[in-house]
Amino acid sequence: MIFPRGATTRTNPEAAAGVLYDAVIVGSGISGSIIAYQLSRAGHRVLILEAGPAEDRTIPGYEDYLSRFYASVAKDNQAPYPQNADAPMPRSTDAMRVRPGHPETSGYLVQTGPYYTDTTYTRVVSGTTMHWEAKTLRMLPEDFAMASRYGQGLDWPVSYEELEPYYREAEREIGVSADVEDQAYLGITFPPGYEFPMRKMPLSYLDQMVGRGIDGMEVAAGGESHVLKVRSFPQGRNGIPNPGYDGGKGFEPVGAVSTYQTEDGGRCQGNNNCVPICPVQAKYNAGKTLAKALESGRVDLLAQAVASKVQIDNESGRVSQIEYKVYRDPSSAEYTTATVRGRIFVLCANAIENPRLMLASGLKSTSGLMGRNLMDHAYLLSWGLLPEVAGTMRGTVCTGGIVDLRGGSFRRRHAGFAIDIHNDGWGWATGAPFTDLQNLVDAQNKFGPDLRRALVSQISRQLQLAFMVEVPPNPSNRVSVDPSYKDQLGNMRPVLSYNIPDYSMRGAIFGRRLARRIFQRLGAEDYTVYDPADYGYLTYEGEGCIVRGGNHLAGTHIMGTSPGNSVVDSTLRSWDHENLYLAGGGAMPTIGTSNITLTIAALCFKSATHIIDQLRKESAPPAVSAH
Amino acid sequence: MTPPQITTIEQLHEYLYHAMQLEHGTIPVYLTTLYSLHPGSNSDARHIIRTVAVEEMLHLSLAANVLNAVGGTPDLTKPDFVPPFPAYLPDGETDFQVDLQPFSRDAVTMFLNIERPDQPADEESRLRPRNRPQRQLRADGPEEFMMQFYSIGDFYAEIARGVRYLHQQYEEGGRQLFTGDPSRQVTQEYFYSGGGELTAVTDLDSAMAAFRLISEQGEGYGGGIYDNEKELSHYYRFQQLQLGRYYQKGDQVGQPTGPPLDIDWGAVYPVMRNARLADYPQGSELYAAARKFNESYADFLGFLTQAYNGHPELLIEAVWRMFEIREDISRLMHNPVPQRHGVYGAPTFEVGNLAKGAGS
Repeated sequence: MIFPRGATTRTNPEAAAGVLYDAVIVGSGISGSIIAYQLSRAGHRVLILEAGPAEDRTIPGYEDYLSRFYASVAKDNQAPYPQNADAPMPRSTDAMRVRPGHPETSGYLVQTGPYYTDTTYTRVVSGTTMHWEAKTLRMLPEDFAMASRYGQGLDWPVSYEELEPYYREAEREIGVSADVEDQAYLGITFPPGYEFPMRKMPLSYLDQMVGRGIDGMEVAAGGESHVLKVRSFPQGRNGIPNPGYDGGKGFEPVGAVSTYQTEDGGRCQGNNNCVPICPVQAKYNAGKTLAKALESGRVDLLAQAVASKVQIDNESGRVSQIEYKVYRDPSSAEYTTATVRGRIFVLCANAIENPRLMLASGLKSTSGLMGRNLMDHAYLLSWGLLPEVAGTMRGTVCTGGIVDLRGGSFRRRHAGFAIDIHNDGWGWATGAPFTDLQNLVDAQNKFGPDLRRALVSQISRQLQLAFMVEVPPNPSNRVSVDPSYKDQLGNMRPVLSYNIPDYSMRGAIFGRRLARRIFQRLGAEDYTVYDPADYGYLTYEGEGCIVRGGNHLAGTHIMGTSPGNSVVDSTLRSWDHENLYLAGGGAMPTIGTSNITLTIAALCFKSATHIIDQLRKESAPPAVSAH
Repeated sequence: MTPPQITTIEQLHEYLYHAMQLEHGTIPVYLTTLYSLHPGSNSDARHIIRTVAVEEMLHLSLAANVLNAVGGTPDLTKPDFVPPFPAYLPDGETDFQVDLQPFSRDAVTMFLNIERPDQPADEESRLRPRNRPQRQLRADGPEEFMMQFYSIGDFYAEIARGVRYLHQQYEEGGRQLFTGDPSRQVTQEYFYSGGGELTAVTDLDSAMAAFRLISEQGEGYGGGIYDNEKELSHYYRFQQLQLGRYYQKGDQVGQPTGPPLDIDWGAVYPVMRNARLADYPQGSELYAAARKFNESYADFLGFLTQAYNGHPELLIEAVWRMFEIREDISRLMHNPVPQRHGVYGAPTFEVGNLAKGAGS
């Protein structure tokens, strides 16, 4: 797949100002790329405003990301991506405990607490799909009806059945590796004969070992018995193409996006650093979709262009233009301000940047829900040492896990969760394997063959279970803005007020107890320790644990059935501004227990059909009545 | 017109064995040059050489598919399978030799010779009686090669002619040429990445398609810069290294107008040319590492032989084995040779009798 040469210099602010685009999209992540691509296929002219620099999407640019990651001491989600004061991004290494009454402002996100989230998103071309892990679980049918089924959270204005065809489109676009037999559980259905584009990623040796120990284990919850089984996760990374896909047409994996003549990324090599960057681009990133959109010739990209204001025509309530700031280079605070006009505007920044931009433009929405109901999965980690070598650190970051407690009647009382088995061992919890090496050398004076043996024994037996706990919508978890906090370009920074609801804490504590039982069955020694001084430490009914952010940001401009209960309708169109769409996780009324990107992508495919419809209707010649 | 050189099934098997030998023969050459690049440097050159090397592996698999389709038994473990370097190409091109050498302008010139597209003017110069040079690969089958070919494309054209000829003979005799077990075919799902499709060969059409892909992808047989898959052929890919600029669609031969390449001819380990085990001091770590590499490489050829003999799924496992090959070669190349100022280690690929056959 070729990222067309010169695509990022096809236009400039002056030229763009002279064009009335069919659609102006803010953000080149997966939402912006899919909508741009779909609109371009329908013949529409699109401009994408991207806050980050664009030269990164050449192969040398991508290789710079890799070198920066390899050379970086902290291997966090943002390690490959340069800090940019003109389009700053949150970084988990900035995380601090919030003191009550003292907003923590050292990172990009201003956090008033009480809980400080180390959640992140990446402001570069292709957005957070650059660092995402590429798990592509569908939501459960019951996730769309949490209020009516379990009296928790909200119902969606869209059902699983209505979204299902768009899930399939998303699975094609991302290139999902999975087997239907593994994924048909807890009510998830597929049309007869459906097959995924690529075969499932094989379970790692570690997964298989855990599976041998726990498959068939019964867990009682909510008066029901749940039987556990280790399954492979669907993944947005290239595996073995499935000749049976698409009625026997097969599937051709999309490899690296490049400028020129490279053939990389046709298949996952198991490098085990999918997060924060796949060395060969076997993992999907939105650049693969964006390249197709740019190739159409109808999509322009303006990089280093940070949207700063959505301007409304007071009479019609329609968006008239978007103001943006173009900075000369990331090291400089110099910028110029420009505006761009479109018939339709689509905000695809993300669930924090979308409401930030709207609120900074003074647009709180009729419901007052702009920025509210911020959600993110709450991660609870448990880590132990298995009795025998399990090959930890081989494979992609995560190939298998336990999904049997994603749904069930227990959700009346506590949150459900999916459990990841981490092939990268205790990396997330303790910084393994680097911290293990340090400890063995510095504290235990190991060297030579002794050190090698100790490393194998210490690292290859590591088992980390990550419980991805659902967080329900809560209007007081929110993004807002405050003129006293601005970035280098003078754009207001997001201010987060966030706490983990009791519902989720009950789920987390349930998960922690389950982890202990799983470790017992496996004969694993539990090494889990939660330091009360940690910024993510929380207590619930006397039990303490550390909760980490999930980078699955959602809920800040939720969709619903009326302007009174939501910000957008089921097509992602703003209730208040008829030519404005807000795409991305922000539109989701609940996040359930699946990583959100696949659902975001499905919603974008659905929304794109409505945008195309609206463009056609609005451009149709006015009807002339017959006399 | 000269009569077909291939008139018996044994000859066809022999030619296809040489085709596999030929496709494989370029891989030590390309890998040596590829891994001599300093890590983090020469991104453009790295991608160009790597892409070609991966496509050679595709061609190797396609040749194995054809051989399997006509009832042959691919064997990469014969003692003559990997030639001693410097070597002549096994299709009988005698006007140049291939060397294991670091990245340089000379190396690129050699690559261009390997992949040269030109067809000589007439049949007589395309197909000449062989004048076997000294270090020519020895064919140990019953039928010796009698001809030498001007280019790899010509070599495949002759094999294709033989397949068509035999197919017709067989049909006339009421027999089948394509009798191979289809489960021995390696298909795309087992092949990591690479350009072009790896398709099963089961009949005349699919065999011809395989030859066409190999010839066009490699040398642009027929004179085009781009092949049917709209890919640049190997010759022109390498030429970009000489010309310092990428080709793009619509370009004329020799006049690329794409983006410039960023080449640093100095960011290269000065590794030994055509290294032999005997070049390393006995007992040195380099000697041990070079020996170990030859053993692992021989194992790998045995492993591929199994894959091509009814176990295509083994090619999935070949991925991490190829990472090991890269690591082993890098270990040699990143170290200077004792007592030889400024010369670095290199793999010797002296596999000879080390490889063990599929049955053992």
